[in-house]
Amino acid sequence: MIENFLAGSAALFGDPFTIGIFVFGVIGGMLFGAIPGVSMLTLAAILLPFTAALEPAQGVMLFAVIYCTGTYGGAITAILFNIPGSAENAPTAFDGYPMTQNGQSGKAVGAAVLCSAIGGIASSLIMMAATEPLANWAIRNIGPPEIFALVFFGLAVASSIGARTIWKGWMSVLIGLLIATVGQDPVGGINRYNFGMVDLAAGIAFVPAILGFFAVSEIFVQAEKKASGKYKAPKVSMTFPSWLELWMHKVAVLRSIIVGFLCGILPGIGATLAAFMSYGEAVRWSKTPEEFGKGKLEGVISAETANNAATGAAMIPLLALGLPGGALTAMMVAVFQMHDLQPGPLVFMLSPDLIWIVFAAMFYANLSILVIGLVETKTILNLLKIPFQFLAPLILMLATTGAYIGRGLVLDVIVMFLAGIFGYLLRRSGFSIPGIVLGLILGKIGEQNFAQGMQMVHYDLGTYFSRPICAFLIAAGVLTLATSLYRAFKSIKASA
Amino acid sequence: MGHLTRAHLLEALAFLLIVVTFYGFSFEFNQPIEIYRYGATAWPRVVIGCLMFATLGNIWFQYFNGSLSQGTIGSSNDEADLTDPKTIRRMTAVLLTPIVFAWLLKPVGIYFSAPFFIAAIIWLFGERRWKAIVIMTVFIYLLFIGLFLVILNAPLPQGNISPFYDFSAWILTMNAKLQGI
Repeated sequence: MIENFLAGSAALFGDPFTIGIFVFGVIGGMLFGAIPGVSMLTLAAILLPFTAALEPAQGVMLFAVIYCTGTYGGAITAILFNIPGSAENAPTAFDGYPMTQNGQSGKAVGAAVLCSAIGGIASSLIMMAATEPLANWAIRNIGPPEIFALVFFGLAVASSIGARTIWKGWMSVLIGLLIATVGQDPVGGINRYNFGMVDLAAGIAFVPAILGFFAVSEIFVQAEKKASGKYKAPKVSMTFPSWLELWMHKVAVLRSIIVGFLCGILPGIGATLAAFMSYGEAVRWSKTPEEFGKGKLEGVISAETANNAATGAAMIPLLALGLPGGALTAMMVAVFQMHDLQPGPLVFMLSPDLIWIVFAAMFYANLSILVIGLVETKTILNLLKIPFQFLAPLILMLATTGAYIGRGLVLDVIVMFLAGIFGYLLRRSGFSIPGIVLGLILGKIGEQNFAQGMQMVHYDLGTYFSRPICAFLIAAGVLTLATSLYRAFKSIKASA
Repeated sequence: MGHLTRAHLLEALAFLLIVVTFYGFSFEFNQPIEIYRYGATAWPRVVIGCLMFATLGNIWFQYFNGSLSQGTIGSSNDEADLTDPKTIRRMTAVLLTPIVFAWLLKPVGIYFSAPFFIAAIIWLFGERRWKAIVIMTVFIYLLFIGLFLVILNAPLPQGNISPFYDFSAWILTMNAKLQGI
């Protein structure tokens, strides 16, 4: 492994043009992740056509680097403006934004930098050491029934996070699932809820919906506060977390690496569910769960470690099985295909150089988060000093471009603004925006894997539950739902 | 009525309307799929059923507790304050302006409509100094053009009606000349 890693490093740093691409990816990913309104996906969508002119290793490496640094960059906007750069940064905002409001933005961003780097580096190392055995294990043990069970468990956890009541948490997730049913059904390709619009046949695109629900709705919330005279400018703080504070959270970091990596391995699940589940586990294991959501450092640490730990793991299904774990890894498949390559087991045999350049680049990209992140954090924190009336149009313009670029459809811009209005009304009534987005992202994956799973077990629930991973995850999901339902009934009884 | 308010009833009504609408439209694609026993409607209808159950549970909870929080994780008690007519008018304008902008993108294009949109948002966010509005509009517009057109060459909506389309074409020609393409 070490020999291969050194060879990959030599190939990466032996060519000035490849170094240039690496540096561009690191800075581009961080910038696009940290600018509210656009994300790493916007940059990736713009760059996709240009990768045809690059060597295959350079193209795949560029996207892998953007994936690592962009996932970190999205935490900055989540913490400073309550606008997660992408869905995987949504749980970061639960505690990160209250920390900013409490004048602890430096502490939150500092923890995000460090934990993103730790999660990413650990994940890169595990990825290098264990891609092949893990891929073999996943091939044997994880199929559509297990993926559906994990989606079910993830949605059960998400329904209890972010909303004012359990009922509203469920309604949020269910609205997301309902939006995900728009477009062709994943089994028979039958058009659903497209209301005669051809562009809707492909469904509601994730990027405009996410931008609308997160970025645009937050702008509307701030506009309302400005209009009603309740707007408070966030406080800038340059105080970083101390080493002792971070050391006290070592268990949370370790747990989040494990949760993040395990979620990342599963195709289609990716970093989003990893961050949600890690946050949920942090709450479950905490002695003071009531402090979460009010500005607890452990919340930021858990979410950011897990989502970066998932980036390395997401490469395993992509490279070993050819299955992308999310939108960005799906674009990486397109990069492979542009160069007449197909990600899968054969890549390890036919293009080992490519694999090890990518692995080495991801390791160094995560290391760069630590170095550049700590140096640049103070500059980034100054974003808070820009008056919001000037930041808002900039964010809306960037979001408009981000929504349009993916598919080149004005419909996506309209969808984004409608999602923004809908999201604004829902979040001001106590619904969970991250819950809606998770429902939207996992809806199609859940339905597809449920259908395939049912076909595999010949519609026999007994056979389905005889699979141990399925039985465990479904039981855990049902238990989570039952506990929250019990709490809901108990609170009604108490007040009656 | 318990602790129910008009807002709670409106919320429940809106969700039940969504449930009824989506259930009604599900008959449009109620076709069997040869390889899948449950067909294309099963999943959406299960989601619709669960949403109806959750909506009824929510209104039941609100009947006893009003808008009380239930001790969930990461929730905010920050509620909308739309009692003042002036705030409602301003918010209506804030919500409608982006929709109008998006609707104009196809015929007018982004290059022409963007400055007006930027200025409108700055004004709606409470800035009343005309000099600041103009300077920031120009700055944001140039930043936007510089990043997406000059540096990234991103394809953006150009409009399809003259003279807006001609304006976009002029900007693209200027960019091409600038870059020596």
